[in-house]
Amino acid sequence: MTTTAIPPEAKRAPAASPRSRTARRREGAAWVFLSPWVLGAIVLTLLPMAVSLYLSFTDYDLFSPPEWVGLRNYTQMFTEDPRYWRSVVTTLTYVVVAVPLQLALALVVALALKGMKRGKAFYRSAFYAPSLLGASMSVALVWRAVFNDGGTVDNLFGTGGWVNKPGWALLAVALLTAWQFGAPMVIFLAGLQQIPAELYEAAAVDGAGTWRQFLSVTVPMLSPVLFFNLVLQTIQAFQVFTPAFAISAGKGGPADSTLVYTMYLYDRGFVASHMGYASAMAWVLLAVIGVVTAVLFRTSRSWVFYASEGDR
Amino acid sequence: MPGHRTKGFCASAAALALCAVLAGCGGSEESADGGKVVLRYTWWGNPDRAERTEQAVALFEKQHPDIDVTTSFSGYDAYKQKLATQAAGGDAPDVMQLDYRQIDQYASGGVLLDLAQQKAVLRTSEIDQGLLATGRVDDVQYAVPQGRGTETVAYDVETWKKSGVPLPDGSWTWSQWADSMRALAEKTGKPGATDPGQSEDAFEVWLRGQGRSLYTEDGGLGFTADDLARWWTFTDELRREGAVSPAEQTTQLDGSVENTPLGRGQSVTDANWDAPASGFLALVPTGVALAPMPSGEDGTPGQYFKPSMFLGVSADTGHPEEAAQLVDFMINDRRAAKILGASRGIPVNETIRDAIGPQLKDFDKTIADFQSSLDGRLKDPPQAPPSGDNALQSTFQRDYDQVSYERMSPREAAENYVTEAKAELRS
Amino acid sequence: MTSTAVSRKPLGRGRIAVHLGCLAALLVMLYPLAWLLATSLKPADEVVASLDLLPGHLEWSNYRTALDGVNDVSVWRLLGNSLLIAGGAVVGNVLSCSLAAYAFARLRFRLRGPLFAFMIATIMLPHHAVLIPQYIIFNQLGLVNTYWPLILPKFLATEAFFVFLIVQFMRGLPRELEEAARIDGCGPFRSFFRVVLPLTRPALITTAIFTFIWTWNDFFTQLIYLFDQDKFTLTLALRSFVDASSTSAFGPMFAMSVIALLPIVLFFLAFQRFLVEGMASSGVKG
Repeated sequence: MTTTAIPPEAKRAPAASPRSRTARRREGAAWVFLSPWVLGAIVLTLLPMAVSLYLSFTDYDLFSPPEWVGLRNYTQMFTEDPRYWRSVVTTLTYVVVAVPLQLALALVVALALKGMKRGKAFYRSAFYAPSLLGASMSVALVWRAVFNDGGTVDNLFGTGGWVNKPGWALLAVALLTAWQFGAPMVIFLAGLQQIPAELYEAAAVDGAGTWRQFLSVTVPMLSPVLFFNLVLQTIQAFQVFTPAFAISAGKGGPADSTLVYTMYLYDRGFVASHMGYASAMAWVLLAVIGVVTAVLFRTSRSWVFYASEGDR
Repeated sequence: MPGHRTKGFCASAAALALCAVLAGCGGSEESADGGKVVLRYTWWGNPDRAERTEQAVALFEKQHPDIDVTTSFSGYDAYKQKLATQAAGGDAPDVMQLDYRQIDQYASGGVLLDLAQQKAVLRTSEIDQGLLATGRVDDVQYAVPQGRGTETVAYDVETWKKSGVPLPDGSWTWSQWADSMRALAEKTGKPGATDPGQSEDAFEVWLRGQGRSLYTEDGGLGFTADDLARWWTFTDELRREGAVSPAEQTTQLDGSVENTPLGRGQSVTDANWDAPASGFLALVPTGVALAPMPSGEDGTPGQYFKPSMFLGVSADTGHPEEAAQLVDFMINDRRAAKILGASRGIPVNETIRDAIGPQLKDFDKTIADFQSSLDGRLKDPPQAPPSGDNALQSTFQRDYDQVSYERMSPREAAENYVTEAKAELRS
Repeated sequence: MTSTAVSRKPLGRGRIAVHLGCLAALLVMLYPLAWLLATSLKPADEVVASLDLLPGHLEWSNYRTALDGVNDVSVWRLLGNSLLIAGGAVVGNVLSCSLAAYAFARLRFRLRGPLFAFMIATIMLPHHAVLIPQYIIFNQLGLVNTYWPLILPKFLATEAFFVFLIVQFMRGLPRELEEAARIDGCGPFRSFFRVVLPLTRPALITTAIFTFIWTWNDFFTQLIYLFDQDKFTLTLALRSFVDASSTSAFGPMFAMSVIALLPIVLFFLAFQRFLVEGMASSGVKG
């Protein structure tokens, strides 16, 4: 993270010195705009985060006062807990499968709907419908029925059940996430909506065909939104909990195949009451996601285009 | 003019200070509401239990006009999470329903009140002494059992009868049980039972049938990897023969009767607790009957009457006496008992059990009859399991998954489990 | 409006193909929803065991049970509570997140980089790890068992997802717009309300829709912070039909799922049409 995440313009601040009075006034204004966020960030975010960081160095069973144990939780996690490593592998597999799948579906559908005049609202609503459900227990039961032995998928493709086979269950979880692609789709659509029509007109005047317009107008103009979806879906995928929890009825089965990272964290923290250990797991996850996100931000410089920075 | 920035900063600082002040004034004071004492009471359960509990609570409020009880309930898993968060936040409800597995953790964490302090209003004389003892940790009574339940083999009567295999009678050993399951599988073409290998409860019954126990008196592990390897070898062989459910079926257990192999029509029997077994009636409309759990080869019974739910009082309650009165009412009051029926298991108060026995209807009566057929034959329940058991219950099922999906031998998985269990119980 | 204006061909073959593709995809996508609807009318013994789509016979009593509410609390009360929480959250998120986003996207201030990084980092910590500290804070503030823990955080822009979303949209707006406003004498506040906010409408509507749906479905937070049954929401009531330790009522639970779905469907339908009017149609020429 850190510097890579700075909106580029911040670095240009010194250049603005001729207008330093305005700049200062705007600095004051910025803090006014930020004040609710600052308050929330300190009281509701920073404080609990600091507590959980502290807890990660303790033995804490929820009820008795935490006992300082130094790095023990971390060493135990890395050296003595094979189930921890299995959950890491499971989660990475999930991220690699679910994120591209969901984003690709969302983007393809959004592009298909973009140019539509008739039926756009209908399609948008219909494609969004699954995302209204969340991963409630009813959805989980439906999913289990569809992907069970003798369920719809088995009947159509003869694959047998998925939710009850260790090699396949995680795919069923990823498909549930992908099925609910409404959020990234709507964000893509909103991004597409924001592209000024003049750009397409200008491109058309220059003789660009549909494909050329897509590459030279749509892709660069959509890149901030694409980047947003990529970053957020990746972060969320690393923390996937609800679909895996719901489909496996909280067990992470069969044979630990859907025991993703945060589910194991939950299991350690709230079922086994090792909140110190769970907190340590949370901070390791934060570090890993942080590194991945920082890498994404760094690569973004070469492919994300911000209109506000114009053609600099 | 850095003043502007400072101003923004001051604003945030002021807001923070405000929070600090609020924090000072706030806190979970159980303040009197119009001179009334307000008690918070929570439990887990289904809507039926909630409705009956509400009625009983309304009666309590009528008898104690100075007490106002606010109630809350949720499903079991959600309840556990919520209660743990509340208790960790120093905000446990005044009166809470507790599970056998929670007692040790909540008691040793200082969440629960020593009920002996309220002996004057909370009577325990009519409760079976063996059951009452299960609410004690280090000789302090932290919780009182409300109902009792025991495990049972629920079976599809019609399918079993049709198969021609002799029906279970009053008792059977594990090897007789296994023979029946094999015969059922052969005659009906579907497994006789849910694979019991994944269930820590079933293992406990098997272990007790051999005179052992899950945990020692001082909270250590009461068995060895050899014992567990024998149990898992036993169930693994039955699974391979098709006498009990395959891994793909077993893994779909989610605690509900609907998702058991019996509930799905994929087996003839299911070992379960007696109270939830009533749910099978809706799923197997031709009828379900209850048989006892198998015993050790010498006839030693492994199953026991387990306190199905406890009531405990928060150590931080502002009104210990009123809270104890509510607990007493829920357990000992005749009229409350009439309303509550068997919604929390068959009552542990012996006088009440005898009094409401004849009024029980339908499956409640089946359960009561089943329990009375076992009365006097079973051994005393073990003391409440150590807090590590919460984690071990799921570890047990996870390790057995490795066996039933044939990724580990019973021996390897058992060694793994014992290592994990020892680490868990030490911490 | 956008590319259609350029590549208009009256129902060309390509268009038909797109429609056919969309319909085929919908058929697959909506199948599980049809299943959910069908299951809400199945009798108890079919809910889980039957793998057929259609119920053997229609069990309307599932809906009757669900509409009775839970334990003296009527379904209308539950609905009202859910609406209150989701509505409050929408107002809070749209207001506070757009304010913060404007600062991050368009204004200069010290520590902007580190603060932005911190904001993104806050969504990287699994919420289970901060659940108990947060609970303690709200308990200290005396706000447990009120709706504040569910609404207040939204007014304080704690959902970095939406701040980041709006930031990305604001950064997509040409800078000249504000320059022009500034030359006209608009300070940051006027140009925020007059120029930037209207142009970010798709992002704000998106924020409103997602906030409503996600808050509505957020079982976990509601479970932890609400105690009294008459403060319960539809989402909480839905789960109370299922209790692993006793007999569950899957049929009414499915019926309740459908009932709980209706308000968010309506909300989505009502607001989604505003998604259409973005910059392209608002007549702004950069």
